[in-house]
Amino acid sequence: MSLSLGSRRLTVESRPVPSRLVRFLAPTFSVALAFVIGALILVATGQDPLLAYTEMIRKGFVGRLALTGTLIIATPLIFTGLAAVVSFRMKVWNIGAEGQFILGAVASSGVGLWVGDQVGGPLGIVLMLVAGALAGALFAALAALPRAYLNTDEVISTLMLNFVALGIMNYLIFSSFSFWRDPGRATFPVGKFVEDVLFLPRMVGRLHVGLIIALAFTVVIWWALRYTKWGFELMVTGDSPRAALYSGMRVDRKILSVLMVSGALAGLGGGIEVGGVLHNLDPRALSLGVGFTGIVVAALARLSPFGVIPVAILVASFSNAAPGLQVLGIPSEIVILLEGILFLCIVAGEWFLRNAIRVERTAGPAGAEAPAS
Amino acid sequence: MAESVPEVPSGEAARLAGITKHFFGVAANEDVDFDLRWGEIHALLGENGAGKSTLCSVLAGLYHPDSGEIHLDGDRVDLGSPHQALDHGVGMVYQHFRLVDRFTVAENLTLGHPETGFFTSRRSLERQVGELGRRYGLEVSPQAAVWQLSVGEQQRVEILKLLYRGVRILILDEPTAVLTPQESQNLFGTLRALADDGRAIIFVTHKLDEVMAVADRVTVLRDGRKVGAMPTSEADPATLARLMVGRDLSVTERPRTAPGEPVLSIKGVTAEGDRGLEAIRDVEIEVRASQIVGVAGVAGNGQRELAEVVTGLRRPKRGQIIMGGVDITRSTTLERIKLGLGFVPEDRMRTGMAGGLPLAANLALKAYRQPPLSKGPVLSKQAMEDRARTLEKQFDIRGVRGALPTSLLSGGNIQRAILARELSARPRVLVAAAPTRGLDVAAIQAIRQLLIEEADAGTAILMISEDLEEILDLSDEVIVLYEGQVMDRLPRDRADPDLLGMLMAGRGVDAA
Repeated sequence: MSLSLGSRRLTVESRPVPSRLVRFLAPTFSVALAFVIGALILVATGQDPLLAYTEMIRKGFVGRLALTGTLIIATPLIFTGLAAVVSFRMKVWNIGAEGQFILGAVASSGVGLWVGDQVGGPLGIVLMLVAGALAGALFAALAALPRAYLNTDEVISTLMLNFVALGIMNYLIFSSFSFWRDPGRATFPVGKFVEDVLFLPRMVGRLHVGLIIALAFTVVIWWALRYTKWGFELMVTGDSPRAALYSGMRVDRKILSVLMVSGALAGLGGGIEVGGVLHNLDPRALSLGVGFTGIVVAALARLSPFGVIPVAILVASFSNAAPGLQVLGIPSEIVILLEGILFLCIVAGEWFLRNAIRVERTAGPAGAEAPAS
Repeated sequence: MAESVPEVPSGEAARLAGITKHFFGVAANEDVDFDLRWGEIHALLGENGAGKSTLCSVLAGLYHPDSGEIHLDGDRVDLGSPHQALDHGVGMVYQHFRLVDRFTVAENLTLGHPETGFFTSRRSLERQVGELGRRYGLEVSPQAAVWQLSVGEQQRVEILKLLYRGVRILILDEPTAVLTPQESQNLFGTLRALADDGRAIIFVTHKLDEVMAVADRVTVLRDGRKVGAMPTSEADPATLARLMVGRDLSVTERPRTAPGEPVLSIKGVTAEGDRGLEAIRDVEIEVRASQIVGVAGVAGNGQRELAEVVTGLRRPKRGQIIMGGVDITRSTTLERIKLGLGFVPEDRMRTGMAGGLPLAANLALKAYRQPPLSKGPVLSKQAMEDRARTLEKQFDIRGVRGALPTSLLSGGNIQRAILARELSARPRVLVAAAPTRGLDVAAIQAIRQLLIEEADAGTAILMISEDLEEILDLSDEVIVLYEGQVMDRLPRDRADPDLLGMLMAGRGVDAA
């Protein structure tokens, strides 16, 4: 690919192996650029970017309340982020973490309401979380089975299943007198709350042990991707499905298992959100796009399991800071805007990782070169 | 037929003089002269890699020659892009069609056409398409979407696209490779009608019958050089075959271990290709222990499908495959690997290797399932690395740099790595497809030596190759595949290049 500009020609060359310097510079530059563009937009809308940014950091991180708030929001993002990492690593695109997360919440709240205080705290919580993970895995299987055996497009199917999940949840609370709905509330419909024994233990303030579980699963996923046959097969299939078939791997089963693991992670995230924060099935709190944000988190983390943690925390700090900004008269939408710009800049930066641009001087326009003889 | 066009031009349509084109230091064309007259169908004959496509691409403006001149209609021109070539009336139908699947035929025709404005008259376009179609036997519905058309119809659209652009020199790169025999016959009719209207046609092929059937003149290329040109009326298939493949073959006799028991038997196997047509038909091959059976043939005559059927990547429609007494016709690839089947695939970078992964992972592609590389579900990275180091040393794989993608290695080292992986599994049967294609001389020697040693150690080798020298050098028995069928099977001492050349081009012994 080349572009002529007068007597200069810009040539784009692919860079098979980015140097260490470029690998550091590209993302750093991207993040900086995102904040600069964000600042320009703030200035254009008559806001003080410096004030906005300092407030974002203050409301996101400074103080116990701000920090625990951010970590609570980050916990489900780590799960949906890991869900995306696992599937994207194999170049199978699970866009359905949103729906799997929701159904995980439906299943775990259902199990929580069903067991009540009959089995005690620890076992009840484990049952809730297992139910969440299982529901997420089975819901993902709805898209995974046709993908593995009929080669349907999983992007479309997982995406559309999100709306099915959302519909199911809304039906259970708003449109029916289901097992999940609190019959005692005559006004705005809400979900029944599970017994106190089924609340995830808290560590600091409202920060619950879900974060520890999230960190543990990050380690497990990192290890499974790197040090197991399963991870090896996933890596080979992702790089070249033909090479995987050639070496005797069952690519169809691989797709099924990877999508189900991905769904289980998202579903577990839903279960933890119910057990740690909501304690009931709350459609408004569960349809904030945690699954979709997980995709952004995974992409910004460059599909590294450990990268998911800081990115999830950063993105969570934005959400945590948003209401505080509103108080200062800075529209809270700025955080969504920043998230979007950040994403675009990182993706653009990726291109610079893989391509180099060279400027060459040319004698004249490209077509008029005399044949060398 | 000439009355429909006012004047039928005669004389020289195009002349290429001293065309040389190198790719990364390898000559694809070396000092090639070529001339084309109005009103003729000119066949460009040669084996794979003889430089046919490169020469055509130079004329079509896709490649700029390193040296040499292009004259069109008597004037020297410089073709900087396919676009400029089209403006000079030169157009090419590539082997891989360049159509937009979702668009209709009419939309594909107007796409990129210089006279296409923002609005175009659909009716006048459809009328013109209909007219061109009737006159040249290129009937196709202008409203049909391209993805709905058969391959033959898509090819017609490609030709129509060029005619609609006013192209008068048409280049077709192996146009019959994707066609059924009936479609090929129709295409020949079309080409003849186009030539009779005064256009000049270049027809690239490696099939002798097609040259004799359709071309007025033929130019033969071999190893990037022109080795002959003559009117077809003065040519005979045997001469052309010799020109096409008859290089000096350095055949080295070698003492051979006597072949043992039959280890691999392919019995009456028929299988479909990707397009759903039968790619191999009733193929019978038997390979004994310590024997190398060479499958010769020009690419695209069923070799890939044969290899895939044997290795389990493709299901046969009929027939049976027996390996070491076990019927493996329905076995999975993994079961075959466990029974001792090794495979060196033709497509090294995407099938033989996961190119983006480090070499150590690729060397473990099959061995990762057992200790010491894994225990239960857990992988030992250390054992993987250690094994990679050992194999790198043993098979002299060079240029490895830790975790970098395997695809950065040179072709020869990649092939050594594939052989290292396959041979270290101690196979009973090895299927090797195009084992030395594109490699340098030293690597070719090393790979061939490895194959010979492996056969001497008792492995049955089925070697599929388009390289006659390789076939003659290594094989104990030669099988010639043509259009998916076994043309003949010859013991090594009865196979000679001329005879193989004829068989590969679809000519039986009696037809010579």
